[in-house]
Amino acid sequence: MTAAPTGTRTHPPRVTAARDLAAAAVLVAVLAVLPWTEWGNLRLLFTTLIWTTCSIAWNLVGGYAGQVSFGFAVFYGIGAYTAAVLITEAHVNPYLAFAGAALAAAAASLLVGIPTFRLRGPYFAIATIGINEAVRVVMNNMEAVGAASGYRVNEMVGGQRAPFVMAEHYLSMVVIFAVALLVSILVARSRFGLALTAIRDDEDAAADIGINAFQHKLAAHALAAALVGAAGGAYARYAAFIDPGGVFNFNNSVSILLMPVIGGLATVWGPIIGGAVYGIVQEELVARFSQIHLGLYGTLLILAILFEPGGVVGLMRRVWRALTGRRVQGGPVPARGVKA
Amino acid sequence: MGVIDVLNLLVASLLLAGIYTTMSIGMTIIYGVMKIINLAHAGFMMLGAYFVYEVFNRLGVHPILGALLAFPVFFLLGMAVHWLLVRWLPVSDQPTLPSLLLLFGLWLVLQNVGYAAWGNLDRSIYTDMTLATVRLGPLTLSVVQLVVFTVAVISVVLLQFMLTRTWFGRAVRALTQNPFAGQLVGIDTARMSRLSFGLGIAFAGLAGALLASLYSFDPDFGRPFLLRSFVIIVLGGLESFTGVALGALILALVETFSVQFVPAGYQMAISFSLLVVALLVLPGGVASLIERRGRTT
Repeated sequence: MTAAPTGTRTHPPRVTAARDLAAAAVLVAVLAVLPWTEWGNLRLLFTTLIWTTCSIAWNLVGGYAGQVSFGFAVFYGIGAYTAAVLITEAHVNPYLAFAGAALAAAAASLLVGIPTFRLRGPYFAIATIGINEAVRVVMNNMEAVGAASGYRVNEMVGGQRAPFVMAEHYLSMVVIFAVALLVSILVARSRFGLALTAIRDDEDAAADIGINAFQHKLAAHALAAALVGAAGGAYARYAAFIDPGGVFNFNNSVSILLMPVIGGLATVWGPIIGGAVYGIVQEELVARFSQIHLGLYGTLLILAILFEPGGVVGLMRRVWRALTGRRVQGGPVPARGVKA
Repeated sequence: MGVIDVLNLLVASLLLAGIYTTMSIGMTIIYGVMKIINLAHAGFMMLGAYFVYEVFNRLGVHPILGALLAFPVFFLLGMAVHWLLVRWLPVSDQPTLPSLLLLFGLWLVLQNVGYAAWGNLDRSIYTDMTLATVRLGPLTLSVVQLVVFTVAVISVVLLQFMLTRTWFGRAVRALTQNPFAGQLVGIDTARMSRLSFGLGIAFAGLAGALLASLYSFDPDFGRPFLLRSFVIIVLGGLESFTGVALGALILALVETFSVQFVPAGYQMAISFSLLVVALLVLPGGVASLIERRGRTT
């Protein structure tokens, strides 16, 4: 297939970056103030922020660089277990433990990426399915962290179990989300992001103009894994109990992939829209109609691929164009036949 | 481990390889002709299992006969799915991301259909055959495994016959080798994709239906088998029909013998690591290794 046509951009990159940063600052500020107001279900928002952070992270690798991974639950799980063990066994400060979780996940991403990024497109995707299942099976048998029966997270403060403060869990997640958002905006408007896009559109051509595709993919993967790992760590501390069937579940990998695809690949706001929709739908729908959520996501995915490969953001741009009769502005939208 | 044990394990691997071949060959057909990796394969296998379950429980049809019935039913189902969804995908000589995601979405929908229709309880099919065994000298063989193996081998042999002896089969092989040259000699690619997608799904349905006699199943039934199919077709070199049988045999041998040395819990991890290793070291599959040797000598 031919390379994706890029949308015409009437603003210089710096202006759009500034606009995105301003919007991001407003969003994060609103989120950070919520615990002191009457509104907002903090538990729902907390889970939604976890999903959204993973969605943003996946978009770096799957959206900009076009490397579809079915294995992000590996990093989520490794982050969760690292933070859990650091907090429970080594009594590390939880925030340092989150950083440790991010580092561990990034290291794991190198172990996964160094062999698999030799593969292209769908072969990479298939390999990640295998890795996800293999890691889950190994963790299911790892006695040191409780194997399949899971691991209990015990946070001690001054010899006592730390009290559960929802607002603190929530705010720590807001910080991780803000970092993810910042990374995403910087990548989108940087040389690094352009290089990733070039790799997605045509890896050989990218190599011809001097882009080391392997290194770029590894770097994007490590960045994404670190964000997902930190989110996993925050989840472990919040849930106080984790098990391989939960955090390493293949369905988590699937969800992490669905959100940015539905929201809009290779855009800053698409994964956030996708993540927000997913988080809220997951909490509200699964509680009531647990029978239909798989089918709902499957249908959304099919519809997105057949009718609007640009996701919600693509749809909004199309509606905007129809309303104003103007050509669309903004970043590149993946074309129908994005080369895998 | 005595000689008898080794012999028993070898026979067990062979029996397993038969059903593994049937299960993976549908993926190879679809990949070969359309260059689409059918992630929904698992969903159709699951539906095949429930199809047999339903005709057995409601109509009293014997599960093996039910599996044979599944073949034409899933052939039509496959063609319908192609007409409804798959034909809109951009044509490419490489697997594309949209095709991967579309079929993945379809898998989710099928899984949901499974949960909605049958719930998440494990089901199994129990007949007189299930626990019966025959003794063959020092070996003990399970009757149901033998029957499943026989059906699987017959289906693959018939497919091989069709691929080599009929116009349809020659067209499939032509498109697999070179789609553009195939079009030049007048092969209707749209019709061929529809038929081969139907055929691929028919094999998925048949394999699921046969596996239902061996294992219990739930709506998530196909996933470990989907991953095994990946291992097999990658080992087999993705496009080679004989490679699939080889790949199936290798995986069956590895799985059967690894149980002797590695805790059973890790068995799946070994299969999936084999997948990654195969993708990295043998991108052309085992068949290419043999071909290469054949060429140099």
